[in-house]
Amino acid sequence: MAVQIELFLQTLIAGILLGGLYALIGIGMTLIMGVMKIINLAHGELMMVAMYIAFWLFTLLHIDPYLSVFVAAPALFFLGVALQKFLINPVLRVESILPENQVILTVGIGMVLANLATIFFTSNYRSTPVDYATKAFYLTDFWKDAPIELSLSMAWSLSFLIAVAITIALWFFLSKTDMGKSIRATAQDLDAALLMGVNVRMMRVVTFGIGCALVGAAGCLFLPIYYLFPALGGQFTLIAFVITILGGLGSTNGAIIGGVILGIFESMTATYLGMGWAPVGRFLIFVAALIFLPGGVASLLRSKKLGK
Amino acid sequence: MTLFFLVGVSVTTLFAQELRFSIPLPLTGSNAAFGEIEKNSYGIATEEINAKGGIKGQKVVLEFEDSQGKPEVSRSIAEKLIDVKKQPVIFGEYSSSCSKAVAALAEERKVPYLVVTGATDDITQQNYKYVFRMNPTNAYYASGMLSFFKEVVKPTSIAILYESSDFGTSGAEDMVKQAEKFPMKLLVKEKYEKGAVDFKPILSKVKAAGPDVIYMVSYVMDASLLMKQIKELRIDAKLYAGGAAGFAIPEFIQNAKDAAEYAVTATLWSPQVAYPGAKEYAEKYKTLYKNYPSYHGAEAYSALYIMKDVLTRAKSMTPDGIREAMKATNMMTAFGPIKFDDKEGYTNQNFMDTLVMQVINGQHETIWPQKYASKKYLFPIPRWRDRK
Repeated sequence: MAVQIELFLQTLIAGILLGGLYALIGIGMTLIMGVMKIINLAHGELMMVAMYIAFWLFTLLHIDPYLSVFVAAPALFFLGVALQKFLINPVLRVESILPENQVILTVGIGMVLANLATIFFTSNYRSTPVDYATKAFYLTDFWKDAPIELSLSMAWSLSFLIAVAITIALWFFLSKTDMGKSIRATAQDLDAALLMGVNVRMMRVVTFGIGCALVGAAGCLFLPIYYLFPALGGQFTLIAFVITILGGLGSTNGAIIGGVILGIFESMTATYLGMGWAPVGRFLIFVAALIFLPGGVASLLRSKKLGK
Repeated sequence: MTLFFLVGVSVTTLFAQELRFSIPLPLTGSNAAFGEIEKNSYGIATEEINAKGGIKGQKVVLEFEDSQGKPEVSRSIAEKLIDVKKQPVIFGEYSSSCSKAVAALAEERKVPYLVVTGATDDITQQNYKYVFRMNPTNAYYASGMLSFFKEVVKPTSIAILYESSDFGTSGAEDMVKQAEKFPMKLLVKEKYEKGAVDFKPILSKVKAAGPDVIYMVSYVMDASLLMKQIKELRIDAKLYAGGAAGFAIPEFIQNAKDAAEYAVTATLWSPQVAYPGAKEYAEKYKTLYKNYPSYHGAEAYSALYIMKDVLTRAKSMTPDGIREAMKATNMMTAFGPIKFDDKEGYTNQNFMDTLVMQVINGQHETIWPQKYASKKYLFPIPRWRDRK
């Protein structure tokens, strides 16, 4: 019995830690979705770019990947601003046969980024062997006679805590600052925001930048616990997409909950069904969300008067 | 490599003719680490052979084609070698999937192909007349490991984790069969997709099952992620065993660091093994590239010596002439004895002893069979909580 409880709790811990990181990836996409009404399918590739920045800072200058957040996130912000200004905005203005051609453009941007990375850095797998990679906290260290043993990886917990801190900072920015309120106004009703004197074009540029910065930060947090190669983007774009749908398009609160749900769900499938089933679980939850909860977690929050 | 090239150019003048070979290898992509080791080793062998007069008085010149570890690319490279360059014999490639693709093509075009590292069993089980394999198959990879189990570890249960690739699946299936014979109780058998981030759920399940041995068949990044997370969860098995590949190369220890300590792995070769030329090759490799080579390097290095032996004996430089000579091979290399036999359902397959290595003080040391051992094995291994 104790063994089963330990298994369940350990899986739950793994799921929550993974979910926190997933949420950070998802929020960036959701934010862009809310304001610009497009899915940014280059999301995972932008994360890959940030990971390469952190990797080279570690390899050449021995800067810890966690500190690289302060370099990679601003760098990704400016990359996002540039992409939005010079590539996406012009396409938004053009009348076209396909109304979704901005989405197709983001797919193209993603491919270009992945291939540039292959050309410049080769498709070799890289990693940052940090000293604390295998350190962990144990329940028995704190409570000698604990009937079960649980462990909490230091690198994973650190990544998780930083992800939570970034999320709180983002919440503060969106709800308390002028610019944050303008972004939310643009997301809720573009015309009304325009009439109220919000610089909508500026908000779009800034939002895209923030979305990219968030996923850039997520990349730095993933690096110490994972590894890196140019084709890694697609996998994380998919995860972000599932979270965005699950959370309810455009809702940041929904994305946080969606990310944690996905993390826990994946870990549970891995433990109780088999690890090969984790990707299947991911899509089951995706399809189920589309069918049974089209508005995502956000619609539940709204009906309970919890969300904004 | 440039240095080697310069040496090559200066020697050119001595030879009347050149013997050119192209070798498909994964020089980029997830298997690039292995491709690199093999490329370096082919280079060392070329230099040695040319310094001693080349093959039949002809200078050996090697070119490398990047297959990126993708079977389809590998196949098209082999097509080019056969159809355009008219190369009468093909050797090289790293992974099982790629070797398999090249093998099928070689058989179809009736050009002999020497498999150097691809280990999945069925490559030489299809009655291919033109495909030869110098390395033992997956089913035999673990033979050294099993005798180590039998005489030292004496496990009664096992958990198997493997990557869902050709190599991983066949390695796991073979271990399942061996476990039945042993007998060990199979408690967990789980596969995972390449690219998995978090192994902790599945490892927690392994921990709950409490096997004596955890056997893992993985490539390099997963191997270190697995050991790191085993350490995090403090899964105390009697033994952590890897099925060669990712566990047997220096990058494993560099990435997993202290979590790699005491892990054992099956291997086909080690720098300390007593085959003639093995030590010299390993030392030469170390001075040139800083690390000792893994068994993949020894395979590549010896492959060129096999080619030298075969081409010297071949009556003609046609595919069929070379095939005949290949079939009659019976020689000793730095990698071990090479002889292509038809037995136990295999065709043109080399059979040999395999070894076990253990990570001791951050180094791979040969521990089994004892006649080849460079250090005494450490067993039983300490529990995680007692390690500092």
